[in-house]
Amino acid sequence: MPDKKRLHIESSGQLCIYCGACVGICPLNCIYLDETRITFDEKICTRCEICVKACPVGAIEIG
Amino acid sequence: MVQDLRTDVLVIGAGPAGSMTAKWAAKEGAKVVMIEKRQEVGSPVRCGEGMSKEWLTDVGIKPGKWINVEVEGARIFSPSEKIFEINEKHAGNEVGYVVERDGFDKALAIDAANAGVDVMLKTAATSVLKEKGRIVGVTAKAFGEPFEIRASVTIGADGFESQVGRWAGLPTNIQMRDMDTCLQYRMTGVDCDTRYCDFYLGKVAPGGYVWIFPKDEGLANVGIGVQVSQIKTMAEARKYLDAWIDKHPAYAKGKKIDMVGGGVSISPPLKQTVTDGFMIVGDAARMIDPLTGGGIANGCIAGKICGTVAAKAVHAGDPSKEFLQQYEKGWRARLEEKLYRNWLAKEKLTTLSDETFDKIVDALQGVHLEKLNVHNILKAVRDKYPEVTKEFEAFL
Repeated sequence: MPDKKRLHIESSGQLCIYCGACVGICPLNCIYLDETRITFDEKICTRCEICVKACPVGAIEIG
Repeated sequence: MVQDLRTDVLVIGAGPAGSMTAKWAAKEGAKVVMIEKRQEVGSPVRCGEGMSKEWLTDVGIKPGKWINVEVEGARIFSPSEKIFEINEKHAGNEVGYVVERDGFDKALAIDAANAGVDVMLKTAATSVLKEKGRIVGVTAKAFGEPFEIRASVTIGADGFESQVGRWAGLPTNIQMRDMDTCLQYRMTGVDCDTRYCDFYLGKVAPGGYVWIFPKDEGLANVGIGVQVSQIKTMAEARKYLDAWIDKHPAYAKGKKIDMVGGGVSISPPLKQTVTDGFMIVGDAARMIDPLTGGGIANGCIAGKICGTVAAKAVHAGDPSKEFLQQYEKGWRARLEEKLYRNWLAKEKLTTLSDETFDKIVDALQGVHLEKLNVHNILKAVRDKYPEVTKEFEAFL
């Protein structure tokens, strides 16, 4: 996969409110929410950017 | 070291649908374990906290201290803020309570525990166990320690961001147009009307609405849902909500004391909710009403059916997909037609212009509707704006 873009989830609490919207919408099921920690599997993620739109507070960026 | 467990029925998730499922399975004589990944049932709250009330008696929930306000009705505000009032008389089950959601969830978990359910906190499922194509339980972690729970029937009640359903092989994925992304502030010092839940439609919230659910005098949940497919840039849900508040002095003067977010599915019902040894219920099964975004009532109604069928399967010694069809058929008979109809209505509503919303609400001014449904509303609109209802022939 040509992959220059990187997905960045700001989950230190500055933006993220740990609501799980990104987890539920991810078509590949590769984002995980564990109380106050969000992680994603970089190998599975295709940078489809759906989670970027689903995040109500703008804590997910691709660039 | 946590011991491996064996039980009749395992419920994953202690939200309303999970607690209701667990309670009814236990009441019907099954040995039930319900696991919850958090340390506290019901917290953190991710909910607008408005719910209908007519269904509560049916599923055995008694009104409790979790009720903040009993509203008289709902008000729909068109983009130019003409109001259509829906009152108890013609809306029946559509009006009800604004609740303390964590208290509600705890009350249901207490009911479940008192019915004999073993509740395990800080316990998260990590994968499903499969044997010969059948789900036979899960691997889990309790306080970080791995162990196994084996069950005759495993039930996924793990909410919007359900993992368990996908692990079990059920297609629970949703499209962008079938999800709203939501954000809500609890605001104090606002001029809310504790007699009504208010809904603002149109471009203020593309593909969703702004809601005001009063918690007390001067205190309200002010929230928004926006359809993900209509979002263009980052953080739009927050921008739309902040813009709405800025334009409404009665709320702009208030202070925010809490903020919650989350995803809400507004999809048609799942095609399949059972497989061998496994059922899925509530938000995880995409049972949220696609028009209102409400999930508590449907989750509890389906939960009662799910728990009852789980216990029957245990007694019959048959947790096969074929036996569990009783649940599939039962919840569909009760909920599917309305879910599908409301999904179609949602699909249509999200295409309407602000002008059309205004015409619809205007046509309903002063009109007496015997019963509130899409058909009666459209008939009233047709009398005043026949051109508007042309697009809705299918509903008439």
